[in-house]
Amino acid sequence: MPSVGKTIPHDSATGHVTGAAPYLDDMPLRNDELLVGFVGSPVASGKLKNIDCSAATAIPGIVAIYTSHDVPHNKFGALFHDEPVLAENELLYVGQPVAIIAAETPEALATARKLVKIDYEETKPILSIDESLTAKRFIGPLRKIQRGDATSAIKSATHQLSGEFRIGGQEQFYLESQAAIAFPGEEGQLIVHSSTQNTTEIQVVVAEVLELGQHQVVCICKRMGGAFGGKESQAAIPALMAAIVASKTGRAARVIYTKDEDMCVTGGRHPYLVRWQVGFDDAGLIQGLRYEFYSDGGAAADLSTAVMERTMLHAENAYYISDIEIQGQVCFTNYPPNTAFRGFGGPQAVAAMENVVERIAGHLGEDAYDIRTRNVYGVDDRNVTPYGQLFTRNHLPEIFESLAESSDYKRRREEIAAFNAVDPMQLRGIAMTPVKFGISFTSKFLNQANALVNVYTDGTVQVSTGGTEMGQGLNTKIRQLTADELGVPYEDVLVMPTSTEKSNNTSPTAASAGTDLNGAAAVDACRKIKTRLAEFAASLLASVEDGLVPSPDHIVFENGIVFDQRKPAAKLEFGNLADRARRERVDLGARGFYKTPGVDYNRETGRGNPFLYYTQGAAVSEVLIDRFTGEMSVPRVDLLMDIGKSINPGVDMGQIAGGFIQGMGWATMECLIYDEAGKLLSHSPTTYKIPAITDTPLEFNCAMFPNEDNIHNIRRSKAVGEPPLLLGVSAWAAVRHALSHLTDDSSELDLTLPATGEEILRCITSLTQNGQADS
Amino acid sequence: MPSGNVLSYIVPMRDHIQLQINSDILKIRGQDAFLTLSDFLRRRRGLVGTKIVCSEGDCGSCSVLCGVVGDSGMQYQPIDSCIRFMFQLDGVHIVTVEGLKQNGELSCVQQAMVDCHGSQCGFCTPGFVVAMTALQQNRPANQPASESELREGLTGNLCRCTGYSSILEAGAVAAEQSDSASLVPAFELSPDARRVPIEVTATCGDAKHRVYSPTTVAEAVDFLSRHSEAEVKIVAGATDLGVQFNKGHIAPSDWLDLNRVAELEKCEIEDGCMVFGARATWTDVLLLAESTVPELYQVMKVFGSPQIRHVGTIGGNIINASPIADSLPFLFVCDAELTITSASGERTVNINEFYSGYKQMDLTKGELLTSIRVPLPPANRNLRLYKVSRRHDMDISTFTGAVWMELDGEQIANVGIAYGAVGPTVLRLKQTEEFLRGKSFTIETMTAAGDVAVKEITPITDVRGRSDYRFQLARNVLKKYYYQIEQEESQSVA
Ligand SMILES: Cc1cc2nc3c(=O)[nH]c(=O)nc-3n(C[C@H](O)[C@H](O)[C@H](O)COP(=O)(O)OP(=O)(O)OC[C@H]3O[C@@H](n4cnc5c(N)ncnc54)[C@H](O)[C@@H]3O)c2cc1C
Ligand code: FES
Ligand code: FES
Repeated sequence: MPSVGKTIPHDSATGHVTGAAPYLDDMPLRNDELLVGFVGSPVASGKLKNIDCSAATAIPGIVAIYTSHDVPHNKFGALFHDEPVLAENELLYVGQPVAIIAAETPEALATARKLVKIDYEETKPILSIDESLTAKRFIGPLRKIQRGDATSAIKSATHQLSGEFRIGGQEQFYLESQAAIAFPGEEGQLIVHSSTQNTTEIQVVVAEVLELGQHQVVCICKRMGGAFGGKESQAAIPALMAAIVASKTGRAARVIYTKDEDMCVTGGRHPYLVRWQVGFDDAGLIQGLRYEFYSDGGAAADLSTAVMERTMLHAENAYYISDIEIQGQVCFTNYPPNTAFRGFGGPQAVAAMENVVERIAGHLGEDAYDIRTRNVYGVDDRNVTPYGQLFTRNHLPEIFESLAESSDYKRRREEIAAFNAVDPMQLRGIAMTPVKFGISFTSKFLNQANALVNVYTDGTVQVSTGGTEMGQGLNTKIRQLTADELGVPYEDVLVMPTSTEKSNNTSPTAASAGTDLNGAAAVDACRKIKTRLAEFAASLLASVEDGLVPSPDHIVFENGIVFDQRKPAAKLEFGNLADRARRERVDLGARGFYKTPGVDYNRETGRGNPFLYYTQGAAVSEVLIDRFTGEMSVPRVDLLMDIGKSINPGVDMGQIAGGFIQGMGWATMECLIYDEAGKLLSHSPTTYKIPAITDTPLEFNCAMFPNEDNIHNIRRSKAVGEPPLLLGVSAWAAVRHALSHLTDDSSELDLTLPATGEEILRCITSLTQNGQADS
Repeated sequence: MPSGNVLSYIVPMRDHIQLQINSDILKIRGQDAFLTLSDFLRRRRGLVGTKIVCSEGDCGSCSVLCGVVGDSGMQYQPIDSCIRFMFQLDGVHIVTVEGLKQNGELSCVQQAMVDCHGSQCGFCTPGFVVAMTALQQNRPANQPASESELREGLTGNLCRCTGYSSILEAGAVAAEQSDSASLVPAFELSPDARRVPIEVTATCGDAKHRVYSPTTVAEAVDFLSRHSEAEVKIVAGATDLGVQFNKGHIAPSDWLDLNRVAELEKCEIEDGCMVFGARATWTDVLLLAESTVPELYQVMKVFGSPQIRHVGTIGGNIINASPIADSLPFLFVCDAELTITSASGERTVNINEFYSGYKQMDLTKGELLTSIRVPLPPANRNLRLYKVSRRHDMDISTFTGAVWMELDGEQIANVGIAYGAVGPTVLRLKQTEEFLRGKSFTIETMTAAGDVAVKEITPITDVRGRSDYRFQLARNVLKKYYYQIEQEESQSVA
């Protein structure tokens, strides 16, 4: 029975529910193992003058304390080599690692931490995008994507609107905090177990920083307790700390961040300032649009320029805009470097665009849904993106229509208006927002993957790829794809830990493309083995008396059985075939490779075909607001996603629901709060609130939009990891719709994102003019 | 009246804690008694299925079942093992995720979580499995948990991956099954062992640790009076203290543990009053409030999470003295009376006179809060309680309030208002009350009262909200109150 297309439980589900699936910190302590922690910068900005470790070193149980002087090559970085492993001369953000402590016990570590004395001279930090704009402190160049003449199109349009829109950051809040364990090996070798989305990057960075050959470092990742982008580049520092200690002491070294540390010193989704200007006609059709995107990059480049690139490539969201100008600039601030987070710049773009659409609707006094349907990309025309890629297989108009109907959008919208007109206590709102998410890395070279498939003589199979399992179900899908390709039962295939020893030079598991790339590579490896086995089987199954000459083309692999189509009665068991093949010296292992065809993008000119295809969808959210407290809930969500032909509907549905709720959290409740000195105050779940179970809408209808036209991708599937998150914006837009009932012209309504209770009450107060200044 | 220090000399002592973890019966002495349960499980027992995320009771990943002997045998409830000390666990049966398989097979909760894709990264999953198992355990056999019971029962567990819908589905499937996991305790403490106080000591380097765990109030206050020189930390549920301990804010050498003092567990109606022992848990309080003060029930339902409510106590909430403690505005407007006991006797104090500044209160070393007496609000009081927080469930308040009014026709005959999170202590709004008394109950009056209210309060900007937000809430709650009462009246007329 083929397993692709079936709902099969997550391949570690049994381990998850019994507690038997180990994560990094669940590995037993080796006898010699050291616990490693760090001391961070006390200030957001300063000159580092001296580090006094003498008192800390004297604590019994402290084995070593290292500072930047002890690090052979103290620089690294995902895109630019601009980040020190340990602070050198400059202190760049609160908590930036300054010294690493290796201890025998957690108690000694805790004591020593307090005794490391950092002598510094505080300098004035940059703590917002605005301050960075004033100081002109940027990361990377200003980028542009442009088509037509937006400025004159806006000018000559019937209506113009413009404004500034602010978008808050978000913490990944993976449950398993950053973690790494390093084991020293022979001849300077190191084995680093890391909770990382990117084993190759850990290998490379460790080698560079310790001045080793890449061949001396192996990085392994079995699973992560969540990642969401937060372990794409930022697993590096903890892995480096463990590697430095292991390499210098010759002892095993373990780094496990506490949740507080993790939240304080790692970055998250970029806050944005968006300046926008739009021109449109009486029907709300957009004539011209200008954007300036400024992101808060934090104190090092990390992946920020790539994140900004994706923002710019999603700036128009689902709408065709003939004349458009998009500028993007990453700003330097004295916060931890912001980084990848599910959506990778896309969510900010979608929020910015939907804000514009809502304002147009407010200005014209129309239903924002109608503005959306008028501007949505066309199927046969109006279908070229601002960067010049032809948007093919556009299902958005059908999705809009189908979802509006299934969610009963129009009727509910009327009912809500009637409710709001009379109810003194509550406000309701409803909105539909779409997503069109481009799949592929926008850096061409990352669109490749390799896989290793080993068939054993009992017919069982191990498959390894560079893809990492963070909960998204990648391993389950790879298992399904491998099993089907070899025609063996799902149970006979196991996916092995990701390791640079088996898969070299891999890309991060990111950009939603984990299955697309690694699944295709695994299938490629299977095909190689199958070709060899088919040839061998053909010779075994040929029959002189029946007049059948050996024909590998007629060999079928199905349900663990191998047979010749022309004579299906003669069957070989797959295991038996493998065993016999080995005796005849047939190679039963293969390495597969895949590179995405036809993608290319020129960031200098802002033109190209960066994406293989687009995952599409829309969601309708309804919100309920307490007029007196601003408290908000989301009683109903209807969501429709085009994810092609699903490899595992159960797994994909999980991605859809989970992604949406994460996006809703970003759009409506999650808040990173800092003090004036740049220190994060909301650094644990007590103060940083992600959606809880009661925030999941009581009525939550998720559906897939069936289609089989994604012919370019593995088994006609589509990537699903990130796109649903961007639909969380619908909850924000619904809040805006609710608030629009308090004013005649809601184009003036300035609702920032996230729409927290506090922000909502601020808007209500200013709209109802009853806000007195009290403070 | 406690009878002085004679007691501790005649009563024999135990020097260890005894408990069962999964199938193992253990005696805990020395340093281990001072570990958190999660550290003990993970570091000492290799039971690493229990996960640590926050160490502050806020995520539920470390949930385990805690079985305590009740009226109807062992009662299992989920608790957060990261903020439970080993010394609090005498006589209990702890079941971790590793102990839930039934005859080597997945339990029906575990199976449902597998089948419904209830796990993605899996890090939260052991906690959910435990919490869901408890939900199922504590329901009558043929009455599966409803969706809202499931949701409310799982508010103590965070998941970042699933968006919860698959978990809710799994919960519904498991609830349909009748064969809940059988959890069998293999031991029971003898009545003698239960009666004697426990004192465990440990030396770690230069540091000495001691925990005293009495079984009566008399023993407790006697201990306090004998150790007046030491900084003794009194511990009830440890939902505040455990967090402070984990985050390095406290490192006491001496503990007085109240968990075995049965007389502090009282929770009943007596002479028109709710009477609580200081160690009544929020679960107990909720149970009592459900039938007696529904308004209290509604707001306490979102106090912490099930894991927190099973162990957190009303006494701890009062003595922790936070201006955002959820119970306080209610206790203030009801003029709750606190009984405070020391070796030299008992005294009572009205809670409105108890606090004098931020975490300052009328309680001296050697004193124990023993009970709380709350006159039941009469039916005509129109009591309303408010808790505003960033997130509906499992969140600390940004603002709390309690308002009642007795109406005489259109006129406000009498009124009580208390707000929290608007100053260093919870505040009784005396001027606003004064302003309202005798006025007619209209939206104009309530709006004008807001002007008075904001002059009585001094909210700050902090991580849970800006001061202007709190000022606005202080006004709006009064208006909301008006509309609530108005709507109710129009409904009762209709
Ligand atoms: C995740 C989480 C969520 C929470 N949610 C809420 C919430 O929604 N609302 C809210 O108000 N609080 C909340 N809290 C705080 C806490 O749970 C409550 O304050 C609880 O009532 C404290 O009770 P306890 O028994 O655990 O106190 P403990 O931690 O044991 O003690 C608290 C303080 O009281 C002292 N003490 C305890 N009993 C006595 C006594 N009898 N005599 C003298 N001193 C005593 C202790 O020495 C200590 O100083 C939450 C805490 C956590 C960890
Ligand atoms: S670890 Fe988060 S509640 Fe215990
Ligand atoms: S499955 Fe990852 S946090 Fe719940």
